Amino acid sequence: MHKTLQPKIIAVMTGAILLLLCVISLLCILLPRRHASGYVADIYQEGKLLTSIPLVDVETPYSFTVTGVSGCKNEIEVRPGSIGILSADCPDKLCVHQGFISDSRLPVTCLPNRLVIQLRPAEQELPNSSAIDIITY
Amino acid sequence: MSTKKLTTLALYATLSLAIYAVESAIPPLVPIPGIKLGLANIVTLILLQHYSGKDASFVLFARILLSTLLFGQLLSLFYSLAGGFFSLLTMLLFNRLLQKRWVFLTGAAGGLAHNIGQLLVAFLLTATPGVLAYLPFLVLSGILTGLFTGLVASFSGRYLQRFRIR
Repeated sequence: MHKTLQPKIIAVMTGAILLLLCVISLLCILLPRRHASGYVADIYQEGKLLTSIPLVDVETPYSFTVTGVSGCKNEIEVRPGSIGILSADCPDKLCVHQGFISDSRLPVTCLPNRLVIQLRPAEQELPNSSAIDIITY
Repeated sequence: MSTKKLTTLALYATLSLAIYAVESAIPPLVPIPGIKLGLANIVTLILLQHYSGKDASFVLFARILLSTLLFGQLLSLFYSLAGGFFSLLTMLLFNRLLQKRWVFLTGAAGGLAHNIGQLLVAFLLTATPGVLAYLPFLVLSGILTGLFTGLVASFSGRYLQRFRIR
């Protein structure tokens, strides 16, 4: 009896934990997080911050090209309130298909070119681990 | 390893490579990197259930090497290896704990582990905490696709036994 019961308990527990994880992730995905003061786009390459663009200040759309160390290129377009990748030379173009983002829920990522565009609420400070805090008390 | 075993495992490796090739021809359903069906995992699950963990790792390793040589870039090798072996270890554990029953649970745990492994590699390669925002999407898709591959593996495993292919 005990031998047949034990894997059953493990199965039920595994199922419950997996279901719980599903529910938690669904909540994380669906919970809206909008910030009224607009967003700042941080563009990272290989983990280093290239530029920060406050999207509220953008009035006319413009685009620029980011070239990586291995010569890979991503053409980024900035629009009022949103940012995205127009074209890239990576094989699968997932970054282009991710389209334009206008909130901080998901970054636009080009894994082959190691490029990440992350939006952060304008009132929030840059999450900086490497830079030295200039304000001292 | 006997010739019969070697031939059977090579057959399974070819099968999983073919499944992988067919799957990569399907355009991505969701524009989030890392979300895919992971159909090649069906073969790993069948091997785990009806053969041994060693055989499953042989076939998985062969499939990852061959698919990288044929379709991928060097970078995708790291993602595949991390995801593949993370999920293999998890499925080995669950397969043993659940005594080879409830294969769909083993599959779901494996799918979850696969996506978490890949996300960890993406985190290490891009060194950006921002990629962790994908975590809920990858957890959800890993569990759901793993559930699916697990169910397919348990049904097709029964047929394999009936036709004595193993």
